[in-house]
Amino acid sequence: MITLLQLVINGLALGAAYALVALGFVFIVNATGAVNFAHGDLVMAGGYVAFGLGALAPIPAIYLLPLVAILMFVLGVALALLAYFPLINRPPSTVFISTLLCGIILQNAFVVLFGPQAHAAPPLLKSGITHIGEIEISIQAMGTMVVAAILIASQYLLFTRTQIGRRLRATAEDRQMAQAVGIPAFALIASTFGLGTALAGIAGALLANQFFVYPTGGIPLSVYAYIAVVIGGWGSIAGAVIGAMIISLFQVVVSAYVSYAAATGLLYMTLLLIFVVRPQGIFGERVQRRA
Amino acid sequence: MKNPALRGFPTSWRHGSAAMLGLGLLAMSSGLAQSADAYLPIVMPITGFMSVEGGSQRNGAVMALEHAPGGKTIDYPVFDTGTSATGAATALDKALSNGKPIAAAVTVFGTEMVAMMPVAAEYKVPLLTISGLAKITESGNPYIFRFLPNDREIKVAHARYVVEKLKKTKIALISDTTAYGQGGFALLQEDFTKLGVKPVYEDSSIAPDTKDMSPLLAKVKASGADAIVVHSVAAPMALIVKQAKAAGITLPIINSSSIVEPTATALFEPAELNGVCAETPSAPETRATPKIKEWADAYKTRFGLEPDGLALGQYDGVMMVLTLIAKGAKTPEDLRAALQKETYEGVAMTYKSNGKGDLSHDAEIVCWDGTSRIPKVVAHYAGADMVLK
Repeated sequence: MITLLQLVINGLALGAAYALVALGFVFIVNATGAVNFAHGDLVMAGGYVAFGLGALAPIPAIYLLPLVAILMFVLGVALALLAYFPLINRPPSTVFISTLLCGIILQNAFVVLFGPQAHAAPPLLKSGITHIGEIEISIQAMGTMVVAAILIASQYLLFTRTQIGRRLRATAEDRQMAQAVGIPAFALIASTFGLGTALAGIAGALLANQFFVYPTGGIPLSVYAYIAVVIGGWGSIAGAVIGAMIISLFQVVVSAYVSYAAATGLLYMTLLLIFVVRPQGIFGERVQRRA
Repeated sequence: MKNPALRGFPTSWRHGSAAMLGLGLLAMSSGLAQSADAYLPIVMPITGFMSVEGGSQRNGAVMALEHAPGGKTIDYPVFDTGTSATGAATALDKALSNGKPIAAAVTVFGTEMVAMMPVAAEYKVPLLTISGLAKITESGNPYIFRFLPNDREIKVAHARYVVEKLKKTKIALISDTTAYGQGGFALLQEDFTKLGVKPVYEDSSIAPDTKDMSPLLAKVKASGADAIVVHSVAAPMALIVKQAKAAGITLPIINSSSIVEPTATALFEPAELNGVCAETPSAPETRATPKIKEWADAYKTRFGLEPDGLALGQYDGVMMVLTLIAKGAKTPEDLRAALQKETYEGVAMTYKSNGKGDLSHDAEIVCWDGTSRIPKVVAHYAGADMVLK
């Protein structure tokens, strides 16, 4: 029983990191409708920024996170200028491909700048584990869960309770109409890419301590983010979090009882089942357009 | 003066990787082969998931080629295989057709080697490799020369150390799902069986991108294992070791050689490596002999990195070829014949072909004591020690 509880806690900790990844992904989806397949590589970029800053100033990552977020915001705006705005009136698949290509460019840039090997970013507070009763949990995992909870709540409040959130949603729904009523759609879209990328960067900084950062490490993360959003419901923040948790629980809890390969197979079988039974996802609306 | 804050950034890799962006230009420059004494292209994975290992072996080859004995000048353009079989075959074809090669220094990656072998047979040019994949010298291709022990031999050293030196009999045997991981897993199963040990836990389903190893470690704990044996590429292996230590698992962990790479050990605090061991063809970073120390210091000066066994194996292999060229080998056929019969005293060991193209038959077991990232050699295996009946 203790082992199961331990695995569930570990799964939730990993799920918190995946949720942060999915959160940045859904942020851009919600505001622009664009599927950003460079998202996993942007997570790695955040990891590299944290690693680089950590090498320059060996302090806990919690002090580095604001700078990571700012630098990643700039990178996100650059991504929008390069891969989204020139193609804004093209079919969604064009943006899909352009972000995919940007991801590949980023992977090669990582190799040139940091080499092909893995690196570890500094811990959020410090290394080590703490105990809750008989359950062990790493301090980094606890920190990740706290940061994820704060950012998830912030994003939910932003989209549902603020004027800027309503404008972002209006822009995603119908950009021309939003512009017609005076919403600065292009500035909002650029900011959205910036904020989504900042979230990716924070996720990367948190993941890069326990799980390292390396050039191709973002590829599965892009896939997980996409799956989490599909499972949870396209554009749903709560759905993305639940989707991320389902993925991590399969990876950590289910794989404790069957092999990793079988757990992965079961995860994708579950995904297919969700497609059949509830194609709009757990929290999705019935009528949606998927990219 | 170097900025100490930039210690985490591998300068030579940045320079090396930037140089790789001009591979096309480098390849074109092989026209210069006409003015050199010999043309010996380097065809290795400079990009892709084997680029760490490929970078090490390239460095080893370059270091030898920069110091060719007998005043010979060698033209050695670098071709990137991209860590893919088709990329490897294409790159080798281009390299060999782009001059009059006497040999080629080629990939560490077994999958790429398999793709390259027909190309070597077609051009009749010796390939100098450090790939461990056993079958590449078991297929009758006379142009393959290997300067690291093959996996079949080195896994014997791995298994014997666990069973005979550590006296462990309840083994948890783990590998990843790569071809390297699967191949080593099967060989270790075979070797443990020959040693009379049946692992109490076996798992060869670890995907290279697996992040949380706690389910694996929970199963290892539940199995009652007294040692963990891992054969894997670097990333999952590093996570297994790191998370086992964080979970308070004190069992000895005996790994394959990927963890000996300086870029892998850099991921750990020294204390996390306490009780961790690995097999390796050689361990130049230990500077165990004056000869190895001299070479390792020169390597570090040249590339700004600690050396590893891959770099040293490739260095010795290329240097043996350069020595044979200095002694009069003028054609690929001269060289092939000489490689089959000559004995060469290298930095790491003595090289002598077994008739199939395997010239290296030594392996070491290194362990960390928790005080440094540099391991210590705790056992040496050679020749008949690396064969189990």
